[in-house]
Amino acid sequence: MSPLLRAPRAPGSGLSRRLEEIVGSDHVRDDPGALLTFATDATPLERGDPDCVVFPATTEEVAEVLKVANERRIPVVPRGSGTNLSGGTVPHHGGIVLVLTRMNELKEVSSDDLVAVCEPGVRTIELAQAAAAKRLLFPPDPGSQTTATLGGNVAECSGGLRALKYGITRDYVLGVEAVLATGEVIRTGGRLVKDVAGYDLSRLLCGSEGTLAVMTELTLRLIPAAEASGTGMAYFDDLADAARAVSRVLASGILPVTLEFLDQVCIGAVEDYAHIGLDTSAGALLIFGQDGDQQSIDADMVRMAEACEAEGATQLRIAGSPAEAADVLEARRAALPSLSRLEPLTLLEDATVPRSRIAEMVEYIQGVARRHELKIGTFGHAGDGNLHPTVVLDPADADAVRRAHDAFAEIFAKAIEMGGTITGEHGVGMVKLKYMERQHGPEYMALLRRIKAAFDPNGILNPGKLGS
Amino acid sequence: MTPPPPTERRGIFTPELLDRCISCGFCLPACPTYSLTGEETSSPRGRINLMRAIETGQLAVDDPTVVEESSFCLGCRACEPVCPAGVQYGALLEEWRDELWHEGRRPLKLRPLLWAVDAPARVRLMGVPRRHAKGAGERPASASLMLGCFERVLYPRVSRSARKLDPKLRVPSGQGCCGALHAHNGELERGNELARELGEALPGTIVTTSGGCSAHLASVLGPERVKELSQWLAGRSSTEPAKPAEARLRIGFQDSCHARNGLGVWKEPRELIATVGEYVELSSAAACCGAAGTYAILRPEDSARVLDRHLDEIAEADLDVLAVANPGCYRQLQQGVKRRKLRTRVLHLAELLAGER
Repeated sequence: MSPLLRAPRAPGSGLSRRLEEIVGSDHVRDDPGALLTFATDATPLERGDPDCVVFPATTEEVAEVLKVANERRIPVVPRGSGTNLSGGTVPHHGGIVLVLTRMNELKEVSSDDLVAVCEPGVRTIELAQAAAAKRLLFPPDPGSQTTATLGGNVAECSGGLRALKYGITRDYVLGVEAVLATGEVIRTGGRLVKDVAGYDLSRLLCGSEGTLAVMTELTLRLIPAAEASGTGMAYFDDLADAARAVSRVLASGILPVTLEFLDQVCIGAVEDYAHIGLDTSAGALLIFGQDGDQQSIDADMVRMAEACEAEGATQLRIAGSPAEAADVLEARRAALPSLSRLEPLTLLEDATVPRSRIAEMVEYIQGVARRHELKIGTFGHAGDGNLHPTVVLDPADADAVRRAHDAFAEIFAKAIEMGGTITGEHGVGMVKLKYMERQHGPEYMALLRRIKAAFDPNGILNPGKLGS
Repeated sequence: MTPPPPTERRGIFTPELLDRCISCGFCLPACPTYSLTGEETSSPRGRINLMRAIETGQLAVDDPTVVEESSFCLGCRACEPVCPAGVQYGALLEEWRDELWHEGRRPLKLRPLLWAVDAPARVRLMGVPRRHAKGAGERPASASLMLGCFERVLYPRVSRSARKLDPKLRVPSGQGCCGALHAHNGELERGNELARELGEALPGTIVTTSGGCSAHLASVLGPERVKELSQWLAGRSSTEPAKPAEARLRIGFQDSCHARNGLGVWKEPRELIATVGEYVELSSAAACCGAAGTYAILRPEDSARVLDRHLDEIAEADLDVLAVANPGCYRQLQQGVKRRKLRTRVLHLAELLAGER
């Protein structure tokens, strides 16, 4: 394991001045107030105090910053908009927070090659909109898409609401330009769907959580946008019923674009925010949707509605307009932050199980909540087995915080036992590192460390996380 | 897991307000100052982290970054409608400035402004040389027209137009300031007191032509008691807006931040505009124009940077008229349009609807 690093904290170490020479004095912050605002991301309870924050504008500047950091053995934590949910962008070992939001040029959206080329600071929604203007689709759509950057999406291998049908971020990364910890610039892949010249380093970097290299340009795959889409809602008395409906839908040979569910706790919180007329008395809501041509959408929507009815749906509704459908999906994306209306602390996980076992997992989580006397709201991407059980609690209640962590340990263990994973899309970060070995075993962990050392011999990139 | 930050509180902020934010970052793209700097520190989430740091004593109240960010914030509250957690950022900002700008610490430029509007008599004097609306209206009055303090001096035609649109509105002459200026600039208690006093001076529903005043009054007196002009007009089927004599005008609108983000009023003015011309939605319509109450006076350069995007879009759309719903926006956009020598006329929504061109 690489030694834990600690940046020289004494003022006058000259780090900030040296970095200012590279990026300009307007793009380095080391005042205590600014440092404090980069001590956290969107992960509750995780913080680390950086020594300075740098905002480079070019690949060359990133390379120069990394050379300085590498020479001085100073930790570097790459970051975009800071919507990470696993503590992945929290500078636990201090050092430099390298913010890539100034590198926000969307260089190209090509209808001919079906690719987009962009810098890492472009927000996901900006690419989605630029693609849509050319009748193209960039499918990954994480809940935070209006804020999150593509650099962060690739580094975390984000998922989203369309993963069941279209896959996740890794399925759309064709090429990457990245700076190694030692300052060399490499390019992997390119504008090609077929390219087997060498190890697939694009895929390795995708989900590497800022521990291997700093990505400075992305070549992303686009697909033609579907002609139309349909969205429906089914209410159930219980989340387990909704989960069984999901299994029935998938077993019937349909591959829907959307299969999202929320339990009663989440429906109430979301409705309180979005005011879109959800039935807050229902035990669960399943949102289902399909895209494609109108005829097959209509056929699939009927079959999905039938599957829901067969599992005891109490109410069914098909969205009357694209605007209504967008409202429902937008509300679903806001599920996590909406839950904080109930209590100030929301601890969320994203354990994922094979889709055939989703009902079983939902029932297990409900049991865990009862046993530990916790309020757990569960929502998630039911179609791909990706669940977001979220404990809502008062941060002052230390015992409840402890019980929540115990509950997650049990949920993770169960997910692994079912052939699932400790994280479907939020990343390992700091929060789940201790569960990694349980899932993968010591040999795998040792290999991760050797890979990390090959990219980053001095362990400066996001230390204490993957590969440490 | 690192232990949570210290839990002692200094009592600057209401705990329930400060605890609401879960740092999801959904507010970042909505924030005009974050757009300018691209730095977390100038975002709503970053500022809430600064508030938390001064509340727990991690940073001093007069830390330079804290002081700068409390003033750099426009107070437009665009972060509120996009916040799924329901953080009341505007209320937090008022508490922040109440701590930072109280008494001797207030920026010098603010002092004469607050003094001027602090007493109803002075406010009334400001309006004397100008012909703002007057009149007893319907008896007994079911609704009163509030006269903005600076509006009656700078744009007296606005209140006259409002009364032309609804002659039943009563315009009590002794009315003072609503207190928004105080509340937003470090005198929260005095701001609330002035609102209550105005509530007593104006009978019935209070109708205002100023988005900023309407949100503050509504927060103190309750939303049932206060109606922003477009809300009032849209709720009254009897109102027949003037028909345009000339060819259909291309009309844009600049939302009043507090009417939109504080009261949720944004549909009404657009629907009213569509009755007198072709409504053109600018993509900057809902974003702060940089007037932001006293901001244009306190931070003229940042205010101009925020305004630039709006002027670009107005020029690009080649509007005949840009309608506004707040005296601050009126002044900001009128000056900006003049500086750029654009042909667009800036009018208050009331003037536009009343046929004042």
